[in-house]
Amino acid sequence: MRKKLLISFCAFLLVLSTGLAQTTTITGKVVDDKGNALAGASVLEKGTKNGVSADANGAFSIKVKTGAILIVSEIGFENQEVSAKSSNLLVKLVTDTKALSEVVVTGVGVATSKKKLAIAVEAITADKIPAVPTVDIGSALVGKIAGAQISTTNGSPGSPTQILLRGINSINGSTAPMILLDGIQIASTGLENLDLNGIERVEVVQGPAASTLYGAQGANGVIQLFSKKGKMGKVSINVSSNMVTNELLNIGNVNKSQTHSFAVNAAGEVVDGAGVPLSFDKTTGSYLTNPVFNLISASSKSNQPYNKNLLWYNHYDMFFQKAQAFNNSINISGATEKTDFSFLLTDSRQETVFKNNGDYARTNLTANIGVELAKGLKFRSITQIVRTNDTQLDPSGRNMLYAINNSRPFANYLDRDAQGKMSPYFGDATGVNGYNFNYVVENANVSDQTIDLIQNFNLNYRLNRFVELDAKYGINRSTYNSRYEIKDQIGNEGAEFWQYWAEFYSPRTSFASPTTGSESGEINERVFTSTFQNFTANANIKFDFEKDFKLNIPLKSTTLVGWDYRNSKTTDYWTYGSNAPDFSPYRASNMAVYSIARDQISQFVTYGILVNQHFDWGELAGISAGLRSDYSSAFGQGSTPFTFPRGDFYLRPSSFNFWQNASISKVINEWKLRAAYGEAGIQPGAYDRFPILTTATIGNQTGLSTPIANANPNLEVEVAKELEIGTDFGFKLGKGNWFSNAGLSFTYWNRTSENVIDRVDVAPSIGIGRQLTNSMTLKSNGIQASLNLNVYRNKDWNWDFTTNFSKQKSYVDKVLNGAEIIKQSAAGSSQYIIRAGEQIGQIYGYIFPKSIGELDPNGNPIIPLAEQKDYVVASNGYVVNKTTRQPYASAGRFGLGDPNPNFNMSFINSASYKGIVTLGMQWDWVSGSNLYNQTKQWMYRDGIHADYSKPINIDGQTEAWSAFYRGAYAVRAANGTKSYFMEDASFWRLRNISIGVDFAKFVHIKGINKLQLVLSGRNIATITKYSGYDPEVSSGTNNSAWDRAVDHNTIPNIKSYMIGLNIGF
Amino acid sequence: MRLKKYIHGFALAGILLGASCKKELTVSNPNNPTPDALNSETGITTFATGGVYITGFRTLKYADGVFGPFFSGAMGFHEMMGDVLGADAANAYLNQLGCPNSVTHDNGTTVVNPNSPNTQYALVRQSNTNSQAGNNFLYYEWAHMYSLIGACNLLIEKADAVSFTGDATSKKAAIKAWAYWWKGYAYSRIGSIYYAGLINNTSFATNGNYVTKEKIIEEANSNLDKAVAAAKTATDLTVYTTLLTSIIPSYFQVGKGAPQTPAMLERNVASLKARNLLVNKTTATMTNADWTAVLALANAGITATDNIFTARTDARGDLYTNGQFVMGRTYSSLAGGATYKISERFAQEFKTGDKRKDQNLKTTTPYLGQADRGQAHFTRWALVDGGTGLPGVVVYARSTPGAYELHVAVDYEENQLMKAEALINTSQIEAGLAIIDGVRTLQGAGLPAVAGTGLTLAQAREELRRERRVVCAFRGISFYDARRWGVSDPASSRTGAVAITNTGVLSTNATIKYGYLDYWDVPDNELVYNPAASGSAPVKNPK
Repeated sequence: MRKKLLISFCAFLLVLSTGLAQTTTITGKVVDDKGNALAGASVLEKGTKNGVSADANGAFSIKVKTGAILIVSEIGFENQEVSAKSSNLLVKLVTDTKALSEVVVTGVGVATSKKKLAIAVEAITADKIPAVPTVDIGSALVGKIAGAQISTTNGSPGSPTQILLRGINSINGSTAPMILLDGIQIASTGLENLDLNGIERVEVVQGPAASTLYGAQGANGVIQLFSKKGKMGKVSINVSSNMVTNELLNIGNVNKSQTHSFAVNAAGEVVDGAGVPLSFDKTTGSYLTNPVFNLISASSKSNQPYNKNLLWYNHYDMFFQKAQAFNNSINISGATEKTDFSFLLTDSRQETVFKNNGDYARTNLTANIGVELAKGLKFRSITQIVRTNDTQLDPSGRNMLYAINNSRPFANYLDRDAQGKMSPYFGDATGVNGYNFNYVVENANVSDQTIDLIQNFNLNYRLNRFVELDAKYGINRSTYNSRYEIKDQIGNEGAEFWQYWAEFYSPRTSFASPTTGSESGEINERVFTSTFQNFTANANIKFDFEKDFKLNIPLKSTTLVGWDYRNSKTTDYWTYGSNAPDFSPYRASNMAVYSIARDQISQFVTYGILVNQHFDWGELAGISAGLRSDYSSAFGQGSTPFTFPRGDFYLRPSSFNFWQNASISKVINEWKLRAAYGEAGIQPGAYDRFPILTTATIGNQTGLSTPIANANPNLEVEVAKELEIGTDFGFKLGKGNWFSNAGLSFTYWNRTSENVIDRVDVAPSIGIGRQLTNSMTLKSNGIQASLNLNVYRNKDWNWDFTTNFSKQKSYVDKVLNGAEIIKQSAAGSSQYIIRAGEQIGQIYGYIFPKSIGELDPNGNPIIPLAEQKDYVVASNGYVVNKTTRQPYASAGRFGLGDPNPNFNMSFINSASYKGIVTLGMQWDWVSGSNLYNQTKQWMYRDGIHADYSKPINIDGQTEAWSAFYRGAYAVRAANGTKSYFMEDASFWRLRNISIGVDFAKFVHIKGINKLQLVLSGRNIATITKYSGYDPEVSSGTNNSAWDRAVDHNTIPNIKSYMIGLNIGF
Repeated sequence: MRLKKYIHGFALAGILLGASCKKELTVSNPNNPTPDALNSETGITTFATGGVYITGFRTLKYADGVFGPFFSGAMGFHEMMGDVLGADAANAYLNQLGCPNSVTHDNGTTVVNPNSPNTQYALVRQSNTNSQAGNNFLYYEWAHMYSLIGACNLLIEKADAVSFTGDATSKKAAIKAWAYWWKGYAYSRIGSIYYAGLINNTSFATNGNYVTKEKIIEEANSNLDKAVAAAKTATDLTVYTTLLTSIIPSYFQVGKGAPQTPAMLERNVASLKARNLLVNKTTATMTNADWTAVLALANAGITATDNIFTARTDARGDLYTNGQFVMGRTYSSLAGGATYKISERFAQEFKTGDKRKDQNLKTTTPYLGQADRGQAHFTRWALVDGGTGLPGVVVYARSTPGAYELHVAVDYEENQLMKAEALINTSQIEAGLAIIDGVRTLQGAGLPAVAGTGLTLAQAREELRRERRVVCAFRGISFYDARRWGVSDPASSRTGAVAITNTGVLSTNATIKYGYLDYWDVPDNELVYNPAASGSAPVKNPK
């Protein structure tokens, strides 16, 4: 009652005061530094409570005392004071560049100042994405997001990046986060195909505590992209062009042995069992006899040069090249008061570093148009059309690298037979796993094309200052057309002799496995379409209890109510034709054998409601709670929805008077404590809950059979529950030019992922192999931190430094029935173990002791005591049998290490001089990661790896003992997983370095406002102990939860140098 | 007020949208039929095809392209342990599972198994842990055969539930005869290689009561009898045969692969029962009664004109490709040129002048592979695709689609040789030799008759042994013979063997000690997920 009276009294005074003073009406418009209207900006008469909000066009009208001062403010911008002298004021607010004053929407749904954010949201703006030769968004984000592990694990053009934001939530599923473009999910088009040039800003929320709003699909976090919009002012045209030179990394100097251990005759020629020197048979284009050797023999030494009948060829020179890439982009944009537009055309063309493996091109056309339809009603359309054309025969490159690495170095793969034809296989002599990739190239044609459409519509209605309604609809469609043709190889003597055709060796899979006829030509065609629709409707309701209800409490309420619908449909159609006619071109209708190998549809519908209520108490604290409830076709019809709750809280001690009055506020001007809890999920696959029978065509009949892995009608969503606690600081350090301000953010998170689904083995006698089961609990925790420091600033120079830190650990907490699950890498050979207590992605295998008495993890001697006398430690540090000269491998198998680094960090420097010269440098540091060098193990199989030529001292004798290396491959299990090949893959990498000079800043050319020349390099220096090509690669399935620790002939990253020109009109 | 209206409107729209969407959630898998499809006549018939040829013989959770599914992989393992083939690929220890403990050459040097572990006994035990997953070679035959049993159980369960059109009795008879036959076949394979097994009569279920291999063979024979009994309930043979015609892939129904009459099925059953008895005892322990029983069964067994169970390829490789048969992984232009390499010991079994050898084997530049993979797989011989063109002589390998006829179970020749072996061992040597001559004639061997040449018992047994080695190769039964003749036993050895070293030195009187475990332990993948209940028979071979 007293309060009411007080308010009434105040109101009375206010009316009185306005009535008494001389007033004037001031009108104006609030815009940002790019000329965009700032709807909802607050305009306050200084020293009073008289204020209004700008409308949807940024326009305002306010009655004030003559000569009053107006304070114009908007979150994310620096406040501005203007004197209320005239009407038609144009107030331009400048973006508040201090780290904590940005505005984010991801994870909160409503534009929120970072100062008042209770969750960790990482954001990066386009100007922080340096001019580097990357053309895709994923690569550009490497090292930029604190807490995340983003890596480029394959150097082939068009390869997606591997993204692990915060911990592993799933075993069966992937770690890929949800991708949003301006609030709409993009699920058909890969991140690697979107146009980096069109992105203004990226926001990342990394775990359920922040991604509950995204419900049953948000557990892996969300990456939201915001596209560039046209800006007020005259139409601007920007053209950028660059040229890039790429070459493969070979950090560990991987190469082939210059020496061999084959039997030779008196002349030093390598001979076969009959004593006849090996020679290249011109009829079959291959070697028909084998050298005589016994790598496992204790006396075998790899110490003879390839200098007689067999010569050493550098296969890497034979197959690799420096490759060029060209990227061109033109952007035309502009805006008027009611409309804005931006058109962007980008074209990127890349050769591969493998000779003749084809090339890769991508063209993106983007249009972003905004129109104000009526007062407060804005419509925006964002369109992107993407076309890729890929003629790479081996897109992942792994088959060809394997073929090359497993060929003995005397194979000259440029040799042809007497008819001038190449042979697919040079005989067992050159290594049974090697083959001539040039043959496959010569006999195959590939054309893969994608056309993607992204169309987002957004209707936003600011009803009044309380309510904003927003509806978005997006459709994302991707069509992939692949045609893979194998030529007629009839008459190729080598192929016919070995019965190996291009089809057999090709990195591409034929859609049918014909019993014969592969020599006569084939076509494989695939059409894959993916259509994804997302509709969201949100209402934001804001109240300021002080202003709106005239209550003298600094309470603000924000309510978000939303509804969200997603619909995904994919179709996949494969056809196969073989026994091609003698004429070309081949058409499916000409094929003697034809089949439709696949005709599949997958549909998925999900929708959910979300509600979130947020309260802020002045500048001091805030709290919110909400939930998301999801229905899904994958849950079965009419099933109850899955509901995910969330809540968060923040407190800003630096806003309290005691702080602001204390001297500490001079150094720490901003300090926030925050905590958030949230749950989010990963849905089962579209049909994982529906038991089916498998169908097949059998001659002119059909067959039904039971699937190997049965669906499970009782599957539930995988649920991740996360608590994050964090703090953010703003510092004012130096008084002068150095270290003027800094921002530090720190977040600890802890998560439990329950109901994790896996294809669990069942007893074979049940008659099926596996069943999808909610069978595991995973736990993960970690730390993410970032420091932004303005190192130096004066009127000419500006030097910023950022360091990002990430530490995360994910392990298996429980497995159904306590089982240990062994998984084979998709790359083959290497094994992983999933067992309670182990880190996810633990490589599993035999231990090679490095001291004779070494104990295994269970505390037992690896070498039985009675046998220890037979062993010595060789000069390379491994325990070796004195007699056989082979290393010792433990009888049992153990976890050998996992790919998860102890931590990863990046160090980013950017500096500019008067805006004329810009400099940038980024170092990435990954510490404590492990990688299984399967590439090396395979190269040990046939005596190919250069290690074979390295002498080792065993029990007093130093020679290039082949038994050691062959033993490393074969002991206990040929190609078994062994600690010897598990390597420390920690690395420091100079990710980017660039220098740009803008000539337009000092050479004034009419009409040109930017003329920037940029030189940059990527991956140009790496420091690592890893002995393979590149410590960053992974051969597992991209974004696999567990298959990340194997390097099995994966194409290493590329070292790039770029020269670019950016012109602005 | 206006605000409220908007909020209400918005909420209402949301609810309406939500309600309309609920229908959209009814997404069932549009790609595949549900298990309910088996409740129709066409459903059960198509499942009779796919359940046997795909679920049973082709697909498993662990698979390896180097050795492939049942007809190339599991059958190939038997051929390697039977020393018909060798291999150097290490997938699932392929090079080791048939690597002898030692080979002693003519010059007296002994080359031991170069692998680690260096005996097959130790290998079996190392391999047979669940964590070896697909590298455990013991897994494959077990899993294929229980998948086949599972599919057959489902067929038997559904056969009574489906309402057939027309002559339901005869149709049901065909389905059940088919299912019981394959169950009997599967148990025969299980009981002939595993030390213990499970009897499982319910689809998608199992039990932990492991029984001895002898009980499994009994179960096999019992199911085979049920197949015959079921077939005999058919009242209309045309209906019965028509149904089988729709089950067996049309391109199998050539040569010997057309549907069998109930009488033919009965003879196939008798032959398989004869084999079950013969191969699961060592020759040394065969009693007169056993031989008499084998003879009786073989006499009631497959005739020269009977149809049998076969498999073939088609051009598209719908069910199987060449590579999914043992022969398809063996033929090559160059000795040792394919994954499976012809053993010198197989090549030496052909008698001089045997046209079957001229037709199918040729010497080339010897294959002298890696000495660290094995010591017995080097060879001078290549298996010729399509034969060398001798008319009227059997051809072992044919890559042309549909040309090769795999005899999945027992065939006439094997049945004849069982008959011959029983006769020879029951003092009817000449009668036995005459049968051997008959088989040789049938296959176009062009060898002079051995009947009437006054062979001793030992010589007759040797004729029989060599003939069986030649006739029964590539079909997954060679190890049975090596085992029952005692050749593979660690205590014995093979003398007079042809062997070649990796330096090309040829021995013609080598001694090979194989040392292979006679019956495999139950695969650990089964035991981990289905532990033995109390009272179970031992699941591990005590040897």
